[in-house]
Amino acid sequence: MLKITNLHVSVAGKQILNGVNLSVNAGEVHAIMGPNGSGKSTLAQVLAGREDYQVTSGAVIFEGRDLLAMPAEERARAGFFLGFQYPVEIPGVNNVYLLKAALNAKRKSAGLPEVDAYEFLSLIKEKMKFMHMSESFLTRGVNEGFSGGEKKRNEVLQMLVLEPKLAILDETDSGLDIDALKIVSEGVNSLRGPQRATILVTHYQRLLDYIAPDQVHVLGGGRILKSGDKSLALELEKRGYDWLVESAVA
Amino acid sequence: MSAVMTPAMRSFESQWQGRRADALSPWRESAMQRFLALGVPTVHDDSWRYTNMRVLQAQSFRDAGANDSALSAPGDASWLTDQGRIPSILIVNGHPRLSAVAAQIDGFEIRSLRELVATEPSRLSRYLEATSDADQRRWELLNTALFADGLHIEIKRPIDTPLCLVHLTGGAGEGNAAYPRVIISAAPGSRATIIEHHLNVGTEATLCNSFTQAELGAGAQLEHYRVFTGHEDATQFDSLDVVQDRDSSCRQFTIALGGSVLRTTLQSRLGEAGAALDSYSLLVGHGERHVDSVVIATHGAPATRSRQTARSVASGSSRTIFNSKVIVSAGASKSDSQQSCRGILLSPTAEIDSRPQLEIHTDEVKCAHGATTGRLDPEMYFYLLSRGLDRDTAQSLLIFAFVADVLTRISLPAARAAIETALIAQLPNAELLRAFR
Ligand SMILES: Nc1ncnc2c1ncn2[C@@H]1O[C@H](COP(=O)(O)OP(=O)(O)OP(=O)(O)O)[C@@H](O)[C@H]1O
Ligand SMILES: [Mg+2]
Repeated sequence: MLKITNLHVSVAGKQILNGVNLSVNAGEVHAIMGPNGSGKSTLAQVLAGREDYQVTSGAVIFEGRDLLAMPAEERARAGFFLGFQYPVEIPGVNNVYLLKAALNAKRKSAGLPEVDAYEFLSLIKEKMKFMHMSESFLTRGVNEGFSGGEKKRNEVLQMLVLEPKLAILDETDSGLDIDALKIVSEGVNSLRGPQRATILVTHYQRLLDYIAPDQVHVLGGGRILKSGDKSLALELEKRGYDWLVESAVA
Repeated sequence: MSAVMTPAMRSFESQWQGRRADALSPWRESAMQRFLALGVPTVHDDSWRYTNMRVLQAQSFRDAGANDSALSAPGDASWLTDQGRIPSILIVNGHPRLSAVAAQIDGFEIRSLRELVATEPSRLSRYLEATSDADQRRWELLNTALFADGLHIEIKRPIDTPLCLVHLTGGAGEGNAAYPRVIISAAPGSRATIIEHHLNVGTEATLCNSFTQAELGAGAQLEHYRVFTGHEDATQFDSLDVVQDRDSSCRQFTIALGGSVLRTTLQSRLGEAGAALDSYSLLVGHGERHVDSVVIATHGAPATRSRQTARSVASGSSRTIFNSKVIVSAGASKSDSQQSCRGILLSPTAEIDSRPQLEIHTDEVKCAHGATTGRLDPEMYFYLLSRGLDRDTAQSLLIFAFVADVLTRISLPAARAAIETALIAQLPNAELLRAFR
């Protein structure tokens, strides 16, 4: 589904990613961990199509297509989804309007007609119920005045409505209370399937108790330092990152 | 000393010479002499540094007169009357046509200035006294000298029905000039909403030099709108002076959607404790329009409050300027003010200038100001793209969201809808935005 080869990225003239290699197959869940500032969000944003991040070399193939050649909006329509670490507030743009516009953009590119207004509303209401979100969020501006946890739930709500093939959730678990963590995990798990894949960027082993990953990777110094199964996350929980970062430098 | 006699100045002088004497002549005479001595403002006058009067100086103006218009019902002219549901008064070139409907709204006492000049001039003279800053207020001087008629509106108690003044300027031929004058006096404890809609008749070059003065008694509440939708050859100078007594509140909206050169001024004097001003400006530069807007709040007493919110959107080769100033006088402690001016440039040839200024003569005040001008917020834009929205839609939504800071504050739903409709027509991808609503 996704194949990243030797990806180098610089931001504002500073080299952040130094040769990331990663393959994610349909049906898999991967976790990416790593110290603050190691480039996890940079990787996620580059994959989503941020234009002010410069890819200096490397390639990314998504579903057989050259992802890096596609503009951000086309990546989304092709089934790529980024759950932002810091979802932006957009006062004045209605939350439900955004959802509808996003869904219709995707349907249009798939040659489908626009979603029926009534069907759409009942779909949204069902998903919101699933996410334990009150319907008052429908009429508010995108993320406007949402608490940290509400913003993350809203990201997952969007994901559930858009049903992406590949979702990268950048610290969607940070700032969630225990109940919300469960709800969000259920949301992610509900989308698991043989045709889809998920990449979880997280600092906490706990999320992986709810969403069992197939592989765990550690990002450090702009590349994947180590990959393993779920037990790697447990080891990191005990030992921290120093031993990996040091051995990478050595 | 007297000013250079340009064609414009000569034409103002000849209008003055054509005026008949009335009971206010002494005040008018001194205003006119002062205007003639000072002349039209130039870019060397600090408050006019962004607006060049060269083109105007070469033009010649004449009295537009009262009866040139083919339009008779305000609802025909203005889309702000909610299809006639909001009572309105048509004012053609400064001459009100006092309709039976508007004159009878319970709580308003509305009279023409022409009638008052003839019957009770003593009630008007104080509005014509030169202010201490008169030298900077030359168009107001000219209005005082030349207004032929106008309205005196007394608000006697809380009134729920809004009142719309539809100002039409123009007529046959070029160079029609009008000097509408409106005086609003709100009794203590009263409340009302007044809309002034400025537009043109015909398409030829016109000048509208309008001046509205409002006095708010203790605890009075005024919501005032002025909406400008003049045509591409219309010049307008509009001033609004507000004097506010204890605990009075003024919500003021300035919506610039038209004209060739439009200059608006709002000066509020928060003269007694507890007085509050909330001003909202939506300045839309489109085509070659030039919009220059000034808001000055003077905190003259302790515990007064002012808020200035301005949003500018400039496309084409238009230019919008927002100068806001907060003056906190000595002794006006515990004053609280905020100025927020933001602009979005939609084309490389458009220009936006914002100048929030503070002048503080006392301690213990809370004053905040901020100004930003730029392109659309890149974080918001990327977020929308990352959800699959196309670039045009994302851009249009963000522009609309940007002006929402002003639009959402409009408390009359019909006025808001009408303003939105007119605004959308001047934004890129208007069809998309229509669907969005
Ligand atoms: N615009 C920028 N200019 C300069 N440096 C930047 C810019 N954006 C990101 N960086 C730097 O890139 C590095 C990687 O940032 P990134 O956000 O990808 O880290 P992260 O792994 O997601 O960290 P965290 O766990 O704290 O979320 C950091 O050192 C950050 O300071
Ligand atoms: Mg991050």
